[in-house]
Amino acid sequence: MSSGLAVEIKNLVKKFKPSFRAKTIRAVDGVSLSISAGEVYGLIGPNGSGKSTTMKALLGLVAPTSGTCAIFGKDSMKVDSRNDVGFLPENPYFYKHLSGAETIRFYGKLCGMRGKELEDRVNEMLALVDLEDARDRRLGGYSKGMLQRIGLAQALVQDPRLVILDEPTAGVDPTGSRQIRDLILKLKERGITVFLCSHLLEQVQEICDQIGIIHHGKMVRQGRLEDLISLEDRTELILDQPSPELLEKIRALIASEEGSKLLSEGHPRTTLESLFLEETQ
Amino acid sequence: MSQAKTSFISLRRILIIARSTVTQLVRMKVFWFLAPIALLFVGLQYFDAFWYEGPEAAQPQQELQMHKNLCLGTMMLFGSLFAIVSTALLIPRDIEDRTLYTILSKPVPRLDYLCGKLLGVLIVIAIAMLVMDILLVTTLHYRTAGVLADMDDFLPRLGWGQDLIDAKKAEIAAHGPSWGLQFGILAHFFKAAIIAAVALLISTFSTSTIFTIATSVLVWIIGALQGIARDAFMDDRTLGETTSIAGRILGTLVSLLFPDFQVFESIAEAAARAQEILVLDVVKVSGLAFFYVAIYTVLSWFAFSDKEF
Ligand SMILES: Nc1ncnc2c1ncn2[C@@H]1O[C@H](COP(=O)(O)OP(=O)(O)OP(=O)(O)O)[C@@H](O)[C@H]1O
Ligand SMILES: [Mg+2]
Repeated sequence: MSSGLAVEIKNLVKKFKPSFRAKTIRAVDGVSLSISAGEVYGLIGPNGSGKSTTMKALLGLVAPTSGTCAIFGKDSMKVDSRNDVGFLPENPYFYKHLSGAETIRFYGKLCGMRGKELEDRVNEMLALVDLEDARDRRLGGYSKGMLQRIGLAQALVQDPRLVILDEPTAGVDPTGSRQIRDLILKLKERGITVFLCSHLLEQVQEICDQIGIIHHGKMVRQGRLEDLISLEDRTELILDQPSPELLEKIRALIASEEGSKLLSEGHPRTTLESLFLEETQ
Repeated sequence: MSQAKTSFISLRRILIIARSTVTQLVRMKVFWFLAPIALLFVGLQYFDAFWYEGPEAAQPQQELQMHKNLCLGTMMLFGSLFAIVSTALLIPRDIEDRTLYTILSKPVPRLDYLCGKLLGVLIVIAIAMLVMDILLVTTLHYRTAGVLADMDDFLPRLGWGQDLIDAKKAEIAAHGPSWGLQFGILAHFFKAAIIAAVALLISTFSTSTIFTIATSVLVWIIGALQGIARDAFMDDRTLGETTSIAGRILGTLVSLLFPDFQVFESIAEAAARAQEILVLDVVKVSGLAFFYVAIYTVLSWFAFSDKEF
């Protein structure tokens, strides 16, 4: 904790040998990454590139072939490291015979909570993920998006300082996906560290401070989002109801300036995502 | 939140997981199994016409013994099969649903998880056995009362003196509900508990539920036959040294790998025959059962602690 790092992964290698005959798969191949407390880190990469495996190693669900993982300075292979972390696995299903409230209560108890503190927390979490109406329904009848949200509530139940989310918005509709995004931003405001992976690059771009791109188990690019994607030498202007005369003047002005060039011009489009959101509100 | 050091094993956490396992099994409606069993136990009451030759029969207690044998046999079969099937299903299901990921990513040591699951299954078996026990005792009580009433009616007509009648009635009453019978049921529960721990061990490294169930049933059969097999090898000793050595090595190997149910069987049999059972024997057998369950749980833990998901 002295280093202030929420997550520290050093030279993580994880090999799998599916069966005796099969050749070993290097699911993760020398990945190093560190996340400072309070940051949102997005890990992106194609299917099978080792994102989930990296997260599982960080949680001690798989043992590293070599390298180390630590959460707030505590080795991931030790149970103690899990006091301060919440995990949402990909495509989670929970005990379908339990209701939403019972599920959160169960995980809260596992974290050592009890009594009124626990009950308050259960209500708070249900409100947070907007499942108060479904609190007494069994999870067997929950939709995919609801399961994802109960998974998020479960991960947050003991108010951990680090949350690990494996594709939190997979299979969730755009409205739900937007809600989850807002929730992550809320966590960030409260100073909670978030480590997530997702295939929705637009969202990753919106919420993450740091990005890592992983491919074939190797970290190929890593850094601050702005540094990675900003084009420092270009500028975009968007004008509301400009008159044709004004546009003509601007074009003339640009043409008169030495070294600058107008690259493109047109009507900005709304994104499909925002259109969908507008139509489905 | 809590910065306290997570203890290596915690009874509280085990109980939380056990409780959720009980809820899971109950809501899977496993207790409906008890309905046909209850029908069977009650139905046996009316089953005497073919067997019981009326109060004239030389051994009227045989009817009670038949009742007990059938009920105890049902309890043993149900208890053990239920133990095997439910234990074999629980952990693979948690892995499949990724419930295990979320549980183990909380500060929960793997030993706690295993103990909790096993305890949950054992609690459900205990409840089921208790219900069957109550049914057995109730039906047996009425049946004993019926036979005794028959005797009251019949024996004086044979001209028996009161002393003889009382002695006969005491002999019959011994076959009614008794503490010995409870010990027999306890022995069957212990068998179910041990086989559940065996199924737990197998399910930590097996990759299919069918394999776990089949292997556990095999272990159960070997466990039941061990005593018989050992007796056979003992007899062999008179035949020749070579078979005896090979036999003894095999016997030792089997007894190291598989649980031996013979002691439990003999207590259960004595209970069915209304023979006296010493409390000391019951204590010894409880210790043995605990020992077996603990050994298999520790072995499961070894297999499970390196497991990856
Ligand atoms: N338990 C396992 N046994 C064998 N191979 C595995 C195991 N878990 C993962 N792998 C392999 O490791 C590689 C990385 O898998 P991983 O699940 O980490 O990918 P991912 O980046 O999360 O992919 P996705 O985007 O599809 O979720 C894959 O080739 C996968 O087949
Ligand atoms: Mg994945």
